[in-house]
Amino acid sequence: MEGGSRAEGRNPNQLRPFSCTGNPLHRAHGSARWAQGGTIVLAAVYGPKPGTRKGENPEKASIEVVWKPKTGQIGRQEREYETTLKRTLQSICLLTVHPNTTTSVVLQVVGDDGSLLPCAINASCAALAFAGIPMKHLAVAIGCGVMDNGAVILDTNTAEEQQAKSFAHLVFPNSRKSVDSKDPTQKDEESERGLISCITHGAMSEDDYFNCIERGVAASSKISDFMRKTLQKEVSGDA
Amino acid sequence: MAMEHLRWRPTVNERDFIERALQSDLRVDGRHSFDFRKLKITFGREDGSSEVQLGETHVMGYVTAQLVQPYRDRPNEGTLAIFTEFSPMADPAFEPGRPGESAIELGRVIDRGLRESRAVDMESLCVVAGKHVWSVRVDLHILDNGGNLIDAANIAALAALSTFRRPECTVGGDDGQQVTVHDPEVRDPLPLTIHHMPIAVTFAYFGEGNIVVLDPTYKEEAVMGGRMTATVNSNGDVCAIQKAGGEGVMSSVIMQCLRIASVKADDITSKIKKAVDSYTTEKALKKVKRLPTSVPQKISVTDVIMDDKGDGELEKQAVAVQQISKDPPTIVKVSSHEDAQPMTESSNAEVNTSSAVAAGESDESQEIGSPKSLKDAIKPKHKRKKKSDKS
Repeated sequence: MEGGSRAEGRNPNQLRPFSCTGNPLHRAHGSARWAQGGTIVLAAVYGPKPGTRKGENPEKASIEVVWKPKTGQIGRQEREYETTLKRTLQSICLLTVHPNTTTSVVLQVVGDDGSLLPCAINASCAALAFAGIPMKHLAVAIGCGVMDNGAVILDTNTAEEQQAKSFAHLVFPNSRKSVDSKDPTQKDEESERGLISCITHGAMSEDDYFNCIERGVAASSKISDFMRKTLQKEVSGDA
Repeated sequence: MAMEHLRWRPTVNERDFIERALQSDLRVDGRHSFDFRKLKITFGREDGSSEVQLGETHVMGYVTAQLVQPYRDRPNEGTLAIFTEFSPMADPAFEPGRPGESAIELGRVIDRGLRESRAVDMESLCVVAGKHVWSVRVDLHILDNGGNLIDAANIAALAALSTFRRPECTVGGDDGQQVTVHDPEVRDPLPLTIHHMPIAVTFAYFGEGNIVVLDPTYKEEAVMGGRMTATVNSNGDVCAIQKAGGEGVMSSVIMQCLRIASVKADDITSKIKKAVDSYTTEKALKKVKRLPTSVPQKISVTDVIMDDKGDGELEKQAVAVQQISKDPPTIVKVSSHEDAQPMTESSNAEVNTSSAVAAGESDESQEIGSPKSLKDAIKPKHKRKKKSDKS
């Protein structure tokens, strides 16, 4: 893994091949199966259902997340994923459209080969779109790793995450498709749109962190395009 | 928050329609009374991971194993445990947390079919009697409830157990009690010994036990009067029968159902075996496909030209590999783990690998016939690592 050559011959900025299947499940209101290389997550959305749980604000819709690992008992790691997902998804959904309702997102890990949380976020976002839940914008997530020599690699797999000095899971809003060409200012716009969530593991310097974010923003536009294509395909398939 | 209002209940019209159609021997989805829905079995990347789709029902099975202490009354047998998860994604009425009674019933029926009929050999899982045995855990995740979960989950469990590989371990040390578990990359993991395949076949009864159908959908399940699951194998043995309450049914009808069940069990067993076989051969092929990019620079074989190969010459390498007839020292079969993936999926090497695939497949018939050449073709791991360091 030295000298910039990664396991499958990817270069540092190359993502694994993505695939997204829309609505593979019949009972769920919306579902998506998102695969990034060997990491596969199946997300299903039911909602909006009447009533909110105790402690939730009844003036807004609430989202509940259930994370199902592939094997083993549900522990703290799963609870952490659930909380992160809940907060991320609540920030992208329009919560005032259906007040006093609960939308539940259930995730099933089908395969885990690194960047599990980003894959899950992408899957849930796609599933929410297929279910027709109103959202402000999409969330695209990417995992970035910082290696010992300071190189930043995108879309880490399990082996790379273990070897990296530190890694971060970043979630960005999707990139906008400009109607008129505004290329020079577009780059500034991208970085100003901000970062929705960021979970880091390990210690990294400020420079490394900003480097990760920069790479992540660039990758997010690619993933946004892919998501846009997938959603358009499903919509045109229905019609 | 009560989820009762979320459980799908049939309307009076639907109930009436289903019952009346059945009286004229018609089912809502157009099947005959004793037809199974379309069965599709797929496998994941890892050994022991299966996904089964029976019509609209979708179940995922995953098998893992670890070394534990055996039960005291069975010191030389391994253990098998089935965990069923009725995931909330399958049905809005399923709640996360404690499993409901149907989840427990499903787990018990599959457990009885597999364990008590001795389908999986437990004694071969013993490593050191009384101290170390393999404990096999089967996780069944119900992803989509389209009806007849028991049958689908059973098939998922069988498919996953058939493709599961446990690591090889040797007993050694001073007192003969030390167990070393070998890494799957060093020594090939071993399959489980499965004596027979118990297939669960579920029947639903309508109209006071007169009308019987096989493989009910979830709408039929909501309307049915009673249900019976018969677990039989292709040898004609009845492994388990479950009829918990519901409509009373005449014994002649039960006997007829058992006869139908063994015919169906035969059919499904062959389908499972076919799917497992094609997956196993595909995996074995992948081991060969992997070779071209990982051939080290120095091979002490005279008839093959193995210099510095660039990516464009993958095809030549794949064909050249097949010609190796020598016996290189300590050949270790490497089980492809993360490496199998890139050959088929990495985008930048796509063009080259597709040509390598074509070459590999044309040599398939010869390679399977002569296992020696297949083994020869794979270099030991330490040599391959050296190559990647150089590059």
